Amino acid sequence: MTAIEIRNLSKSFGAVRAVDDVSFTVEAGTVTGYLGPNGAGKTTTLRSLLGLVTPDTGEALVNGQRYASLSHPLGEVGAVLEATSFHPGRTARDHLRILTTAAGLPATRPDEALEQVGLADAARKRVGGFSLGMRQRLALAGALLGQPKIFILDEPANGLDPAGIQWLRGFLRHLARDTGAAVLVSSHVLAEVEQTVDNVVIIAKGRMIRQGTLAELTGNGGGAVRVRTKDDFAPALRAAGAQVEEVEPGLLRVKGMDAEEIGRLALDQRVLLTEVIHERSDLQSVFLELTGEGAAP
Amino acid sequence: MTNLIRAELQKLFTTRLWWAMALVMFAFTAFGLAFLIAQAGAAPANGQPGLPALDDPAWLPLALSFASGANIFTMILGIVLMTSEYRYQTITGTFLTTPRRGRVIAAKLGAGVIIGVFFAVISLLFTGVIAITAVLIGGGSVDLTGGRIPQLTLGVFATLVLYALFGIGLGALVRNQVAALIGGIVWAYVIESILGAFPALQTVGKWLPGGAAQALMNIDFDTGLGQSNLLPAWGGALVLVAYALLFAVVANLTTTRRDIT
Repeated sequence: MTAIEIRNLSKSFGAVRAVDDVSFTVEAGTVTGYLGPNGAGKTTTLRSLLGLVTPDTGEALVNGQRYASLSHPLGEVGAVLEATSFHPGRTARDHLRILTTAAGLPATRPDEALEQVGLADAARKRVGGFSLGMRQRLALAGALLGQPKIFILDEPANGLDPAGIQWLRGFLRHLARDTGAAVLVSSHVLAEVEQTVDNVVIIAKGRMIRQGTLAELTGNGGGAVRVRTKDDFAPALRAAGAQVEEVEPGLLRVKGMDAEEIGRLALDQRVLLTEVIHERSDLQSVFLELTGEGAAP
Repeated sequence: MTNLIRAELQKLFTTRLWWAMALVMFAFTAFGLAFLIAQAGAAPANGQPGLPALDDPAWLPLALSFASGANIFTMILGIVLMTSEYRYQTITGTFLTTPRRGRVIAAKLGAGVIIGVFFAVISLLFTGVIAITAVLIGGGSVDLTGGRIPQLTLGVFATLVLYALFGIGLGALVRNQVAALIGGIVWAYVIESILGAFPALQTVGKWLPGGAAQALMNIDFDTGLGQSNLLPAWGGALVLVAYALLFAVVANLTTTRRDIT
């Protein structure tokens, strides 16, 4: 069964169409990055999935059901929404105890979850004194309470320091690889999830722009090759049918031939190449290009 | 449902508000009792009726009825139990854990009953200790079975419970914490006291929560403004229950259905 399924989901707030006909799925054992600039509709999609927002049309299902019809929601889905949903006067442990009680989970879960996210030392401190990074970890501990197999995380890297982001990446990988969980994680900063995700769904202005595997998206870079040589190589390349652009003296950007063909031509022409690199447009530039946030370099 | 009610009680007892409320309640009750002790036995003057003396059997029930003054505090706790969820956005986690939102409201009402009982116990104990001590010092004798004291005690429990429910219903309807608190307190102290104080206005006042609570206590004490015009005690209880349920049902149909963004 598909862990997460979003089918033709649309939602408007007044005149603003926050989500417009979005469809995608997330399978068990994979991490899907839900990417888009701020205000793209990521949060509205995730909140529809969690039954907090009622969609206008379409469906958002977890394990084939609407979230509201799950009998033990915390045991099936763990969610991290925003890091502000805590009573400042309550301790981290008490916050988790309340959720544990309401969900009928074993009383040992709060301490175990705090241990898992590295917050055991702060368990009895009031959340009011927590940094944003600690709140994110506490939110994640809340998602882990019911030991679910589906995780829905909205911008979980917000407020984490570089070490925290590193830790989060490893943690998400661990959830998908070792526990077989389906992970849907949203972000507006691609670098945060680039090394973690298997699949990406890109959304901008409420519309889905692209979806595919990480490799599919990165493979779309145009296939140019950068060639460094002190010899006059451009005429021979052009003669062989390639488009050549001189980026700077001694550095050529070649389209229409791959590195092997260029190397063979250089050998024939007795030209010395000091560098041949496949220019791979990385996901970041794909993302920026697709979302219109800036031209590719 | 038991789990949900327990979780709601944990919400209240894991923050500091409840004992702050208890302290204010003690101060408030002590202040009222101090006045009642100081003025005990005062003769009628300037058209004001006198108060019974400490050794008058009528004094103790009057003093014990002060325990119901804590209703304002259980109402506040009820309002906060609901509105702090919106204020601190903990409603997100609450609804994620219990997506059937009506059950959350029901659990809060269940917790409200327990909170009301808890506060009734501490309020009655506090009032009782002070009042009985005063009576004994004043040379009176204490008879806890007479002077309608059993009915009065029951009235205190009912009033405090029902005001907690009333607060929860009000909070569910008015999600803004400050607005709900100000609304509730202004209502209880200003509007109700005007409508409840004058028997001429009690035709309206008796149908309001404060009038209903007075009916529940049924202290026929002549304030010099004429005979009270109140509902019977059971009628008062029904009116308060009706308010709490009305608010909760209306809230369930309106505010709690809204998107949580």
